Amino acid sequence: MIPLQSATPLPSAIAELLGLDPSNPAVLFVLAFVAAGAIVSVMLGMTAVLGIWGKRKITAAFTDRIAVNRHGPFGLLIIPADAVRLLSKELIVPEGVDRPAWDLAPLVVASSALLGFAVIPFGNGVQIADPEIGLAYVLATASIASLGLLMAGYASNNKYSFLGGLRAVAQNLAYEIPLVLTAASVVIFAGSLQLSTIVASQSETLVSLGGVAIPSWYAFVNPFAFVLFMAANLAEVGRNPFDIPEAPTEIVAGYQTEYSSVYFVLIYLGEFIHIFLGGAIVATIFLGGGAGPVLPGIVWFFIKMTAVYLFTQWARSAVPRLRIDQLIEIGWKGMLVLSFANLVLTAVIVGVIQ
Amino acid sequence: MSNPWIAIGALALVAVVIPVSMLTMSRLLRPSVPEQGKRAVYESGEVPTGDTRIRFNIQYYMVALLFVVFDIETVLIFPWTVIYRDAVANVGLARVLLPMLAFIGVLVVALAWAWRNGAVRWVRSPRTTAQRVDRKS
Repeated sequence: MIPLQSATPLPSAIAELLGLDPSNPAVLFVLAFVAAGAIVSVMLGMTAVLGIWGKRKITAAFTDRIAVNRHGPFGLLIIPADAVRLLSKELIVPEGVDRPAWDLAPLVVASSALLGFAVIPFGNGVQIADPEIGLAYVLATASIASLGLLMAGYASNNKYSFLGGLRAVAQNLAYEIPLVLTAASVVIFAGSLQLSTIVASQSETLVSLGGVAIPSWYAFVNPFAFVLFMAANLAEVGRNPFDIPEAPTEIVAGYQTEYSSVYFVLIYLGEFIHIFLGGAIVATIFLGGGAGPVLPGIVWFFIKMTAVYLFTQWARSAVPRLRIDQLIEIGWKGMLVLSFANLVLTAVIVGVIQ
Repeated sequence: MSNPWIAIGALALVAVVIPVSMLTMSRLLRPSVPEQGKRAVYESGEVPTGDTRIRFNIQYYMVALLFVVFDIETVLIFPWTVIYRDAVANVGLARVLLPMLAFIGVLVVALAWAWRNGAVRWVRSPRTTAQRVDRKS
């Protein structure tokens, strides 16, 4: 049987398989480069399937329509068609844009979202690196995106973009702290920031109900923290009810109004990868990583990631958008107080029962 | 145990190389037909008026300041959460929990102050308030 979490990260495992020396930094770098390329390609493939095709199909199912069905089976060939179409569009540079920042913003949004996947344990030992501060690293990289959004909004020389950029920053600031504090309450249980250790500590059985063992996933151990984290995560990735930075009915498309061609593709890609990264964090720290019956761990991990993505799409279709002042009030007066209460109560309960 | 940051650096390189290669690919594919009209910034089809780089609300400064305070506080909470269970087992609950409760208590007082002071309330511009009064009268 394959262990759920192997002690060695993926590059070192490949090195041992090929009979190379993993302690040599150059060998490790090359192997990590290959592994990273594979994982990033999988992420881009997920974005292509779920972001271009799945999103339209899901929204259509919610609103009782059919959506794409002409290009190939189930309209799947729309994916290459859309990719070529978007990449071959003319790039229109509006008047008065702040040039280096305007060009760099799509790169920052797309790259920072990919960075977080370096420490995510996908199950079956597929993990590029496993530093001891994994959770702090992944939360830090996930929040770089708001810098890219501000750059995009401010550099575009467009009033809608400017409003969108400011809203994005106000929102990400307000919801970052509940997110991090809720993650900290999980660390109280696990006693480590290392993501593989957090996953391993969720493998024990919590209770046995009629012969079915319920594992001690932190979503079951502390459901309150799980709900808080899901809400804060929705706000961090900017999806309904927290999609006011884009708010298509109010400010056109927010920070991405003036972007066209490949720059638009990169921002769109970055947003979707950010949603998957949020799903990967939720799956790792609340849903037991790659744990699950019958299927191999990595399949379970992707099922959980996709489930979180489907949740964001469900919220997008089902929940109305908040106003900006309501959003700030909920963030600073509701979520922040609740996440402090969650942290303190978790600490007290864990301390007392120990 | 190999250094994990080498592998993270490799992924960072991949994360930059793939978007840059997409940029290059698009540069090879896309046409370029420069025209004066399409370079105008989008303002719902109207001719753009005024400057975009206006002075924005001071409130952003207050929110950002508040964020820095709480962000640093979360950085200080993280090490405490890591050692919490071992520390409770070794030196007892009170000596581990009470200092952190006092620390969080100070921050909650600060949050209550900011709340009462209106720092986390989204102000309306005088213009929308004026319009609202006009409609009532």
